[in-house]
Amino acid sequence: MNTAVNILSLGIPFSVALLIASLGEMFNQRSGVFNLGCEGIMAMGAFLGMLVPYSVGHGGPTSEIFNVLGLLLAMGVGALFGLLFALVVVTFRAPQGIAGIGLQMFGVGVAGTLFRHFIGGTQSVPGISKFPIPLLSKIPVLGPIFFSHNVLVYIAFLFVPLSWYILFRTPWGLRVRAAGTNPRAADSIGINVTRVRYQALAVGGALAGLAGAYLSLCQAKMFSDGIIAGRGFIAVALVYFGHWHPVKIMGGALLFSLAQSLQLAIQGQGIAFPYEFAVMLPYVLVIVVLAFSRESQLLGPTALGQPFNREKRI
Amino acid sequence: MKKTVTIMLCLVLACTTLFAAGSGEKAAVKKDSNVVKIALIIENTIDDKGWCQSMHDGITEAMKQLPGRIEYSYTEKMNLVDAGTAARQYVAQGYDIIIAHGAQYKNLTLEMAEEYPDVTFAFGTSSEKGPANVFTYMPESEETGYLSGLIAGMTTKSKILGLVGPVDAGDAARYNRGFVLGARAIDPSIRVMVAHSGSFSDFVKAGEIAQSQIKSGADVLTGSSQQALGALRAVADHPNADIWWVGQETAQISIPEGYKVIGASAYNYAAVIIGLVEKLDSGVKGGEVIPMNFHNGGFLFEFNPNLKDKWEGAIEAKVNEALASFRAKSGTIDYMSVDYSKL
Repeated sequence: MNTAVNILSLGIPFSVALLIASLGEMFNQRSGVFNLGCEGIMAMGAFLGMLVPYSVGHGGPTSEIFNVLGLLLAMGVGALFGLLFALVVVTFRAPQGIAGIGLQMFGVGVAGTLFRHFIGGTQSVPGISKFPIPLLSKIPVLGPIFFSHNVLVYIAFLFVPLSWYILFRTPWGLRVRAAGTNPRAADSIGINVTRVRYQALAVGGALAGLAGAYLSLCQAKMFSDGIIAGRGFIAVALVYFGHWHPVKIMGGALLFSLAQSLQLAIQGQGIAFPYEFAVMLPYVLVIVVLAFSRESQLLGPTALGQPFNREKRI
Repeated sequence: MKKTVTIMLCLVLACTTLFAAGSGEKAAVKKDSNVVKIALIIENTIDDKGWCQSMHDGITEAMKQLPGRIEYSYTEKMNLVDAGTAARQYVAQGYDIIIAHGAQYKNLTLEMAEEYPDVTFAFGTSSEKGPANVFTYMPESEETGYLSGLIAGMTTKSKILGLVGPVDAGDAARYNRGFVLGARAIDPSIRVMVAHSGSFSDFVKAGEIAQSQIKSGADVLTGSSQQALGALRAVADHPNADIWWVGQETAQISIPEGYKVIGASAYNYAAVIIGLVEKLDSGVKGGEVIPMNFHNGGFLFEFNPNLKDKWEGAIEAKVNEALASFRAKSGTIDYMSVDYSKL
């Protein structure tokens, strides 16, 4: 019983960075743009998220206000990176895949260079502490699993219904879906596809920045080169896995993280199982589920990856 | 306009990628026949508080011990492809010893050694004897692991220990098995939870492993390579709990999380570097495996002076006893006898 509770209670915070980044990528892809540069934006977010509390709180206690400023800075710069990406792929209509890889390298490179310049070597920060919800966290079994995490974990899961509401119940969400499904039709009824894609990429960038900051401020509580370690690409895969739907994406992020938590438990229990396979388990699981997803279920944005040129005739 | 902006972005990207890799030169001395030029190629950085820093510190320490004898340069964050370019540049600049610090550089080093027989190359960890111009080095880190295991075994109250490994290979595998043997020497009923992150540098995952082990009752943890820093950070997240860390890098004692580090070992690469210089002086350019152990001064150990109450007395005596034994004779720990599936 204890082992199961541990697996679940650890799997939830492990999923947060993936969840936030995937939701951001969902907005990108719903508008018709896939952003492989998510990893680079996360790296920038991770660095900037810890830069503020590190700089201000170096050598002394860091107050939560500086953590919040770090999160906001990460989101702001993430949004700017999203806009930069929009400039390249929406305005200049560069191939999205290549531009995304470029953004990934750019973000990781800039974050690493700034890190060496401003901080030097691996340093830690006090980070954001856990906030067990009064009363609820005391409930046996459920308390440790759901109500004993840091604030960002609760906020991340609140993003799921919020994203669903924005995407499916607001005029802006409708415009985003229209821009990603049939941009020409959207344009014909007066939707500014270019503007909508810029907005969606800014939102996606902000969320990717926040996801990176979660890693450096909540999970690792430090920054070093390579902190993202491929999580940005996993976030992109989870959007396909979750069929561009916030709830299913949450399911994918949880499945991946619980598998990660499970493989740690398998290793820790000394079960005679090669650790190399245990480490692979979450990735294999995602591939298997993706492979068995029926084509008809893939109700993705039909204009995904296609640049929109208003002047071009069909 | 589109073309101009695209070109500018490409230039920025190229510059960023280029300058993200660090390099530097230390204490260049006037080149004469007596000076040995050493170049270091590393995958991480010289201040990673782990694998790469220990070699960098070793070389700088050797420079202090052999004043005026060593000229030193390093290149950081080198993947396998870029490392070849860096190594060729060092060859062109007339470096005498090129150290590619990591077993992943083995094939590259062997190819380069064949291409440039007059240059000495070194890589590790490896216990394989290389060609006539290649040195390999192998830390026998079951000894440092054993010391950590003794401390952990005598400190634990839950009788559950956590071990956060990068991969089950090389010196990390030896350290981990030594740790198990050390802990079991204190109490055979102690349970050691072994888990590997699968990476030398993913400290987020190392932190996740440590959290998992702490939740499962582990109260003393250890780990090796730079990823271990993430696990130590997870331990430090329990400031008021009786949860401790034993390190494989003495630099961990002096960082903010050091208040959880009871003691730590370190690789003393200065001994290796001085040995390399001496061998070069005597005309030996390679073809040897340089072991690292307490017997030949390849390892260091220190307790955390701020945690005397944790180690003074029985633990200190036990560690000193083991240290004396290791210094007298190497190869006394049968680390191959450890089977994780029976822990």
